[in-house]
Amino acid sequence: MVIKAHKVSAGKGEGEAVVYDGPFAFLGDLSPATGKICLPRHKLEGESLVNKVFVFTTGKGSSGCDFAAWTAKKNGNVPAAMICIESEPVLAGAVIATGIPTVDRPEKNVLELIRTGDYVTVDATAGTIEVLRK
Amino acid sequence: MILTDEEKKMQTGECGQGIRRAMEFLIKLGESFDAEKLVPVSYAHVAYDFCPEEFWNLMTEDVNSTPHRVTTHPAYSPEIWEAWGLPLADSWMGEHERKLNKYKELGWLRTETCAEYLLGIFPRKGDIVPMGGSCMQVANNSLFGARVDRMGILVSLAAAVCGRTPLMGLLLPENRYASHLVELENLDVSDWTMSHFHCLGYYIGDQVPGFKPVAVNGLPANLPFDFARALVISMPTSGAITLAHVVGTTPEAPSLDAALGGKKASHVIKVGKKEMKETWERLNVWTDDTVEHVAFGCPHATIDEIGRIATLAEGKTFKTSMLIGASAPVEALARRQGWAEIIERAGGHFLPACPSIANPFTRPDISGEKQAKSAATNSARSAHYIASVSGVNVFFGTEEECVNAAITGKWKGEMPKWS
Repeated sequence: MVIKAHKVSAGKGEGEAVVYDGPFAFLGDLSPATGKICLPRHKLEGESLVNKVFVFTTGKGSSGCDFAAWTAKKNGNVPAAMICIESEPVLAGAVIATGIPTVDRPEKNVLELIRTGDYVTVDATAGTIEVLRK
Repeated sequence: MILTDEEKKMQTGECGQGIRRAMEFLIKLGESFDAEKLVPVSYAHVAYDFCPEEFWNLMTEDVNSTPHRVTTHPAYSPEIWEAWGLPLADSWMGEHERKLNKYKELGWLRTETCAEYLLGIFPRKGDIVPMGGSCMQVANNSLFGARVDRMGILVSLAAAVCGRTPLMGLLLPENRYASHLVELENLDVSDWTMSHFHCLGYYIGDQVPGFKPVAVNGLPANLPFDFARALVISMPTSGAITLAHVVGTTPEAPSLDAALGGKKASHVIKVGKKEMKETWERLNVWTDDTVEHVAFGCPHATIDEIGRIATLAEGKTFKTSMLIGASAPVEALARRQGWAEIIERAGGHFLPACPSIANPFTRPDISGEKQAKSAATNSARSAHYIASVSGVNVFFGTEEECVNAAITGKWKGEMPKWS
């Protein structure tokens, strides 16, 4: 299955999908030291996003998210690619600065079509998402 | 994107490598949001200590000074951390000093606060001010009517270096009307403190997707500054709201109709006792009642706040450490009032740093074995970041409950009645 989307940050990345029906912040949600979700009581608390394709709704949280993303990237603890429903400027700045391939505005509802564990390839430059069902 | 001749020179590297990289970053960001062009800034605000050194160096290379004013977010204070005996303070010294030296060389102002408006540096209605610091963005939009788009710390440095920002998002008047409306149901706010407004803002931020402007209806007009600020700055903690029209308080929102631009809200969010109670509980992340640290000043304390804390602390001795985040000028005023001494005599500390994300008492990478394993705060933003960044227990309650916790070392905070 191939889904068209809009480029936020150029590049290509692939990996197992982690799908979360909610917003995401690099600062506060993700531990730059482990690449795991670290916000207490978060639905995905303890789950790793490292080399995954993270599917979520949009960005949230502090404008420090981009420096947190930078640190996480230096530690190799970032997703391989990201797919969100609608980007926002802090998230966009974070993924552009750190070069994480990211798309938004997918033409289909990726939160329903992609399931955690599916193998997903994101070509942000071309604006495509390819999904291989697990 | 359409660029002026000067911007083209900046883009090609004629103005140096730092400006070239910063332009490339701003253009990529603008293009991802279909921005037509860049616009000049009224002034800019950065956060040099939150900025990774490698990125700081990349952006500021070849930059000597800027024609526009640049101010800064709270800085780290490793020399003060060291004086307080925090074991790992030393490891922060080198990077901080190198960036600070360049910062000073650029002629940028050492405001070192997330509440510059308390220093008399604030935008006029309509001013374009790119800035890092989501709490300042939402405050400058919602309390002063500035045009501030949501952006990150790294982008804000690029904008400060270039004196440009992409024309997008909340810079465009048509994007500033509220799409989401918050209505209060059976909530009597007459006895609310700052913490209650923090709690309300934290709930609202969680309910609004993305950074859609929101209108909050049903609060008294000309809400006291501390209350209005607590309400709006908590929103981008749980979410991404960057403009909140507090009807009757926000310059652009004298009426609900003005906030909504004459249209109907696309979504209505009702807040009642249940939502407030659940949010208050959510902000409390603790198992036993031992309090080791108290954090105030998120965002940086107003002089009134410090005055109230001094009244509560007078003649007392704290069992816990206490940090009040405040800008140097506000701290100086507190000192002239005699309030700083009262608080310091009790055992409290002032710091022109972030008491939440960069709290030196709770951050294990600053405090080492002296780390406070629990912290009480009256700020939802502080509770959120101390819990998530430092990973310690957090108590959320009123100013008075927090000062009592500092005195007794125990948490006796109570759920408000929400009557």
